[in-house]
Amino acid sequence: MSEKKLHEDQKYIDGLLQNNSFIIEAIYDKFVPKVINYIKQNSGDSDQAQDIIQDTLITIYNQASEKKLELTCPFDAYFFLLCKRKWLNELKKSSNKEVTIKEELLYKGEDAHELAFETDVFGEKEALFTEMFNKLGTACKDLLTATFKIKSMEEVAESLGVTYAYARKKKSLCIGKLTELVQESPKFNLLNK
Amino acid sequence: MEEQDYILFEDYLSEDLSETEKNAFETRFKTDSKFKESFNTYKELSSFLEHKFENEATSTAFQSNLKTISNAYFEKQETFKKVIQFKPWQYAMAASVILLIGITLFNKLSNPVYGEYANYDSISLTVRGSQDGLLKTAENAFNKKDFAKAEVAFKELLLTDEKNTELQFYRGVTNIELNNFAMADWLLNGLKEGNSVYKNKATWYLALSKLKQKQYDASLKILKTIPEDADDYKAAQKLISKLD
Repeated sequence: MSEKKLHEDQKYIDGLLQNNSFIIEAIYDKFVPKVINYIKQNSGDSDQAQDIIQDTLITIYNQASEKKLELTCPFDAYFFLLCKRKWLNELKKSSNKEVTIKEELLYKGEDAHELAFETDVFGEKEALFTEMFNKLGTACKDLLTATFKIKSMEEVAESLGVTYAYARKKKSLCIGKLTELVQESPKFNLLNK
Repeated sequence: MEEQDYILFEDYLSEDLSETEKNAFETRFKTDSKFKESFNTYKELSSFLEHKFENEATSTAFQSNLKTISNAYFEKQETFKKVIQFKPWQYAMAASVILLIGITLFNKLSNPVYGEYANYDSISLTVRGSQDGLLKTAENAFNKKDFAKAEVAFKELLLTDEKNTELQFYRGVTNIELNNFAMADWLLNGLKEGNSVYKNKATWYLALSKLKQKQYDASLKILKTIPEDADDYKAAQKLISKLD
């Protein structure tokens, strides 16, 4: 991959990651009005805009904290595209509603589209993984929760009253089960293309 | 995949394989596409779970903070909209209603109001001789009671100096004056829970913010937490006696 320069707007991503209230506020002041306008012009209201924006920022936060998120384009373009995608998905879900899409603002530059796409996929995967995790049996859910919260496998085994070897084996099998659930889902294959 | 494979994945990820086993693993990874796919998903899920549970606390903190800021922002949008939707004759009507309320209140000599208790002096944010334009703007605007302008300056200043408790405090007061209570209460509450020199002052002003919002019980509750050695202890006691 070619060397891409980090955009100065990376400060917004870092600010979110540090839970810096004033950066979050600046994001609302600078970038949110446009999103609200867009949603309002496309069959939405202010409450729906508020939810879409909040969800989008949470997805960005999660991606930045789990993986690295390096912004190579203006935050404005990236953020707007993400909110837009989310809103269009929302509209599709409630397809009874009449959908009218006003002419969209176009952004030049592949970077914004590419990054927004990656974050979008990340968010969708996260939602899918959470859904599948909840489908696991209670025993697996408890074991995995304990495993990743406590970290030491010895302690996990002790707290669950099983042997270390069993806990460890069970952990692999539970993630294995989750792997299968995820792989069987049609949505995952679409996302993983 | 077989059970054995998942156990192998786990061993590989936790680096529990011998050199030979590791090599065998990597060869199979390169040649067996199903194996490769499953391992990649397994790895992705491991990382997802690790993140989900490990960072639960910081992630929750972020989400609740985000919610507060979002609510403050959208609340401000709503009031802004209401203000600009006023028509001239509505001002006249509002004025007469306020006059009427004013008279009634005076006659009854009822509840204490924010203005009687807000006791801040002129502020001096700039160090003598320093040339920081924005600080000067904030200071002047605040002292001239041009709070809208002060708010813009404080907001900008805090962006690069977010831990500055003095700025946070005066921005809190500024927002009470602007009736942006969500923002005011959020800033002051942060200081109240902290340990800066503004802790007691912020508590006092948080109570005054509640007073201005006519949330008398909330105000009373906060007033009662102001310690005896606070500058505003006496004033707080006086207000308590009126509210109680």
